[in-house]
Amino acid sequence: MTCSDVEQALPELLDGEANGAFPTEVESHLQSCAACSGLVSDLETIAGAARTLAASEEPPPRVWARIALELRAEGLIRDQPADAKLAPGRPILLPTAARRRWSSTAWWLAPVAAALVAGGSYVVSHKPATPVAQNQAPVNAAPSSAPSPAGSAPTTPWQCGLPAQASMQPTVTAQTTVEPEPSADDQQFLSAVSTRAPSMRATYENQLKAVNADILETQAYVDRNPRDAEAREHLMEAYQQKALLYQIALDRIQ
Amino acid sequence: MTDPKQAITEAEAIEQAKQGHEAAFEVLYHLHKRRVYSLCLRMVANPAQAEDLAQEAFLQLFRKIGTFRGESAFSTWLHRMTVNVVLMQLRKKGLPVVSLEETLEADDEAPRKEFGTKDLRLTGSVDRLQLQRAIDKLPPGYRTVFVLHDVEGFEHNEIAQMVGCSIGNSKSQLHKARLKLRDFLKFMRAEKAKTG
Amino acid sequence: MVEFRKASSQPASIKNTAIVTAVLATCLSSALCSAAFAEAAKEFRYTVGAHANISVDTQYGSISVKPGTDNEVVVTATLKSDNVEVDQQQNGNRIEIASHLLRGTDQRNGQVDYELLIPPDATVNLRSSTGPMSAERLQGDLTLEGAEAAVNVRDVENGHVHIRTMRGPITLTDVRNGHVEVASISGDVHLKGVTGPLVQVTSGRGGISYDGDFSSGGEYRFTTHTGDIRVLVPADVSADFKARSVLGRVQHDFPLKPRHSRFPEEVGRSFFGTTGQASSEVVLRSFSGRIRLKQR
Repeated sequence: MTCSDVEQALPELLDGEANGAFPTEVESHLQSCAACSGLVSDLETIAGAARTLAASEEPPPRVWARIALELRAEGLIRDQPADAKLAPGRPILLPTAARRRWSSTAWWLAPVAAALVAGGSYVVSHKPATPVAQNQAPVNAAPSSAPSPAGSAPTTPWQCGLPAQASMQPTVTAQTTVEPEPSADDQQFLSAVSTRAPSMRATYENQLKAVNADILETQAYVDRNPRDAEAREHLMEAYQQKALLYQIALDRIQ
Repeated sequence: MTDPKQAITEAEAIEQAKQGHEAAFEVLYHLHKRRVYSLCLRMVANPAQAEDLAQEAFLQLFRKIGTFRGESAFSTWLHRMTVNVVLMQLRKKGLPVVSLEETLEADDEAPRKEFGTKDLRLTGSVDRLQLQRAIDKLPPGYRTVFVLHDVEGFEHNEIAQMVGCSIGNSKSQLHKARLKLRDFLKFMRAEKAKTG
Repeated sequence: MVEFRKASSQPASIKNTAIVTAVLATCLSSALCSAAFAEAAKEFRYTVGAHANISVDTQYGSISVKPGTDNEVVVTATLKSDNVEVDQQQNGNRIEIASHLLRGTDQRNGQVDYELLIPPDATVNLRSSTGPMSAERLQGDLTLEGAEAAVNVRDVENGHVHIRTMRGPITLTDVRNGHVEVASISGDVHLKGVTGPLVQVTSGRGGISYDGDFSSGGEYRFTTHTGDIRVLVPADVSADFKARSVLGRVQHDFPLKPRHSRFPEEVGRSFFGTTGQASSEVVLRSFSGRIRLKQR
């Protein structure tokens, strides 16, 4: 047998049929030909190594977050609000952050940021009828292992950018632009910024007002147009913008 | 990135998912996410696309979960569905799923001697990261068969049925893919020896 | 039996040499001395191997990164006062530099400006609240994060580029062949000659402008909340376009080939269609901003 003959025969020989035992004429060629036996050995090595690549990669958390969102939108998830377990997806806008030292003041920001997104996905999929929902039970959105800020009510989506008291009507200013009162978490956020980076307080406050206004505006639209999936996605993204703001602050406050 | 506590078995999760419980869907997702995502990523060599394809595969699975009767293993069902989702995407993009040549070409016939007789073997070990990169560099047609057979463990008759080629074609594509990978790996090794 | 070795190589020898250069005050008279800041320049040099990892974190101040030699990192830090220090450390191939503010320091006297020369294949992480931050002619992964910092990235190839700002404007020029992910809350984002397998840009209130050709068969996703999206491409662009604004106006001046979509096309609010071979995927979405696709 020549090297060329062996090469031609390899596709049939290498998998399954031969079960590792080659025909005699092939074996004897391999014993005397370093090039061909090297080739066979290499190809078997590659095939063996390939097996270990199956299931070797982990998808980012946003994949599940999107699946859950779609399943809710299609009505395949039919949990009642009280039973709902929320998928605490990481905000998809955020790249993987390097390990950070967390200041003692700002440790509560991370679960709040996560809760904002989880709460956002909850709100987006439940399509409540009106923006005023005094009977909405607070949902325990934050991961259970995260400590909650002392003295604050459990974070609900309604507190994002909305007044902390039961009435959900945002204050209307003289210019008739809707400017919501900051929630308890927002107040705590701003006070942390004031303490640690006072020169940045005005900037963060303005940004917070802007994202809260965007959330409100989008929420109002979604309420009027519950079938608009695109609008619901924008609402989710508005919550993620707020989470991004919290995250940037978390990184910047030293 | 920890998986949720599995208080239920896969069979129970399937039944509960049919009832519309989110936690059950999530359990099924976490059980199979690595397999599905890795398969997509190996086939398209693009993480963003792989995310979309993995998402689509799970969605298709979950939409059909009401019809799952347990005739075959759930994972087999999901596995095949994932392959179909990826192949559909490749076809949509006009990428060749498999090449059409059945036989080896002239330049594939003899083992290559470029690297000298001293360095013929990959010395019995393959750097995993290099192998991943080499697979990503394969032409899409070769990559499909290699991933399905050597990485995912499908048989040639299954591959032939899924991609729409003959069994002989599947075998020859696999062989060519392995030859190409061997070349890539040797090149990478030679480059590393120069700089390392 | 198959064994696997990690791909990353160990650097041959690592030395850390810190060289402190002269410090001079600029007060003109003794009366002004108490008010004048003592500006100091410090230089740090590090020897590194391939694919070094370099982080710079400053609350106030600019960071500029350029390519230098293949195995050395040179950091020049200009400190505006005595109320701020530079912490620096090297662990193997990883270098971490941070400005350390002493009590009572504000933006003015807490400023440290950094200039870095690094191996082009290094991974870079830059953080500054005020900025500006810039990086050019590099090939490794870049992560830049700022609050108000303006970010400028130019002539970068192959790496992952991740940028996020609160309201700092972001400009990317000639960024090719990598993954680009940009997020800003209200900063404007300008992209010129940016192509690659994935280009994903989100700005809440800022606008996004793209001047390029959507090439490389990649996926391009631009999303805003209220900001406008403006895209300028050549007539022979090859892409599959999807554009929708929930409340804003949407316009294009391309002869798009219609494609089947499960979303109804609302004239003036959305368009779907392909040009050329539809090689790249382009998704333009806004809640209330305007979307404009223009031919160059």
